[in-house]
Amino acid sequence: MDLYTIIFYIFALITLGAACIVVFSRNIVRAAFALLFAFFGVAGIYVFLLADFIAITQLLIYVGGILVLILFGVMLTSHQIHVDAKTGTVQTLPAVMIVAALAGTLIGIFWSTNWNVNPQLEIMDKTAPQIGELLLTKYLLPFEIASVVLLVALIGAAMIARREKKPKD
Amino acid sequence: MPAVGTYFYNIFHSLYTVIVGMKITIKHLFTHSATVQYPTVKMKIPERARNRLYVNIDDCIGCDQCSMACPVDCITIDTIKSTPDVDLGLTSKNTKKRLYVPRFDIDIAKCCYCGLCVWPCPTDCIVMTDVYEFSEFDRKKLIYSFSNMSTDEIAGAQERLKKYDEEQAAKKAAVKAAAPITPPSSKPESSAS
Amino acid sequence: MEIIQKLFANELIVSILLSLLPLVFIIAYALVVLYTEMKVAAHIQDRVAYMRTGWHGLLQPIADMLKLLQKEDIIPDKADKLLFRLAPIIAFVGTYAAYAVLPFSSIYIGSNINLGAFFLVAVGSLVVVGILMAGWASNNKWSLFGGVRSAAQMISYEIPTAIAIIIVVMITGSLNLQDVTKFQDGGIGNWVVFGGPSPWLQKLMLMPFTIITFFILFVSSIAEVNRTPFDLPEAESELVQGFNTEYSGMRFAMFYLSEYANLFTVSAVGIALFLGGWSSPFGTFMSGPVWGIFWFVAKAYIFVLVQIWVRWTLPRLRVDQLMYVSWKVLTPWLFVCLLSVGLILVL
Repeated sequence: MDLYTIIFYIFALITLGAACIVVFSRNIVRAAFALLFAFFGVAGIYVFLLADFIAITQLLIYVGGILVLILFGVMLTSHQIHVDAKTGTVQTLPAVMIVAALAGTLIGIFWSTNWNVNPQLEIMDKTAPQIGELLLTKYLLPFEIASVVLLVALIGAAMIARREKKPKD
Repeated sequence: MPAVGTYFYNIFHSLYTVIVGMKITIKHLFTHSATVQYPTVKMKIPERARNRLYVNIDDCIGCDQCSMACPVDCITIDTIKSTPDVDLGLTSKNTKKRLYVPRFDIDIAKCCYCGLCVWPCPTDCIVMTDVYEFSEFDRKKLIYSFSNMSTDEIAGAQERLKKYDEEQAAKKAAVKAAAPITPPSSKPESSAS
Repeated sequence: MEIIQKLFANELIVSILLSLLPLVFIIAYALVVLYTEMKVAAHIQDRVAYMRTGWHGLLQPIADMLKLLQKEDIIPDKADKLLFRLAPIIAFVGTYAAYAVLPFSSIYIGSNINLGAFFLVAVGSLVVVGILMAGWASNNKWSLFGGVRSAAQMISYEIPTAIAIIIVVMITGSLNLQDVTKFQDGGIGNWVVFGGPSPWLQKLMLMPFTIITFFILFVSSIAEVNRTPFDLPEAESELVQGFNTEYSGMRFAMFYLSEYANLFTVSAVGIALFLGGWSSPFGTFMSGPVWGIFWFVAKAYIFVLVQIWVRWTLPRLRVDQLMYVSWKVLTPWLFVCLLSVGLILVL
């Protein structure tokens, strides 16, 4: 086993272990913090896939944005913290069915995909310019739609957060 | 001012005030410091500063006025009368000294540095000096004894006074015996302290 | 670098050694900055600071460090012990990761990746998580306040920083900090803050916008390292040191070190993007790999000095003023700069 394989398994272990803590932890804050390691591990695996841009974006958006947002949400709703998160089983049958279907799909994809393992590809190409060009040419429409959706979300948030003006008597 | 104007005004005003502040601090960066390196360099203390007490015991006439003036009772004075045959000398103010001062203790730990003991002194022998570093590890060391009399001298002075008193009493008795008409007095006239 | 590689004949050992270099640098640098900060602070307030340990107190930072190492490591009884122990490590890891992409010299850069500037913005968020974790795990209301304030502040100020970086990237055409520095090589006139090495008309048009961008980056970098006037997370008078109230000994030292390391990081980003990084201000005079390290550290040190000067001049902002500055002043002005620079570059 060479070094890179070992590092890959370390990242995989970090991701899976942290994900398990997220799911099984009874302490909701710890679960949120465990998410950090899960995101970090996933970013590491992206690096192994030679997707450096995606890896850093993963760190920036998930760790810097979404995780902090979740933590804020958890911490600001103080009475929620000391309530143990429910880990009991409810509605066993539908849950099992959905999980089985999902697992089946994933395993199916896993077997049918042609995993193109190419260890010769070592030099990281300049991915950022390529992604940028594709976003502004081939995938311009989805890109624009995503920005419009985000703009709508922003305006909506500003609208909700706006202080209501009292009607003048 | 319209809102837009206020916005720009605020930005430029805050930038301007920041620059003013930073100018002041950089000026102070290169001025001489106001502090001194204390144990090695000492600041001159004011002329009339009140610090440790000092008693010039040669001038003390044992009048006890400083002890009475002290608001915290930190001065303890004992005196012994002198006999007419000894001359204790004069103070620097040409006052005749009549009392031995075998004990003049100041508990400087109690002293509140008010200076009230200095003013009543008729011979100006108790003064406040500019010494302010006299911390000790043992509190007993802060009781300063200013008396310069040795134990032998004190004993001698007491003995002489006793002898003198006895002599006086004997003289009085002789006078009494010579004039028996006067009723006998109940209390002795000399009060030996 | 090849000499070292031959010396050890093992890629792994060499890369570990090379990645440890910044750690040595951080510790030495933190001591120097600690000393400078105390001295500058004292002289601004007409004092002289420490004078007894060594000549003019030169050994005092070392004494301080030894004292910190010997202190008892106290963990509050009601604290979340695991997170409490983890928090300083995560904060330091986030800070240290940024050193991977700082171009110290034309031959030394930890990892010459193509997305250096982007990476810097991303790992900054790890520090936020570390601070939030510390604030939460201390189980102390002031610490939690400090942590939440710190996170809110750092996220808000990451946006101006990111846009300022984008403007530089638009001018230089690369996210690689080494390339950005090489772009500015060749004298003070080629620095991005003065418009970069472009034709003089374009340069003249770019200059006002780059200067404003540089200034804004400077302001937001002060905010990102939680220093006065943006030190609300650590506000001593209201929050008793904020998120690191409950920390002592080694763990506190780690936060401390991470703060000073962060100070250098933001300064290094500022100079690598705007002030020519390791390139000499006199063109070819005094330039070269070794002079490169000198120029990089010296420029960053001057940057830090200005930050210290600002710190001991200005009072602390209120929370609403803090947010006002970020969202209503810095960000819109940067958008204006972004659009203008884009237009000028296209023309």
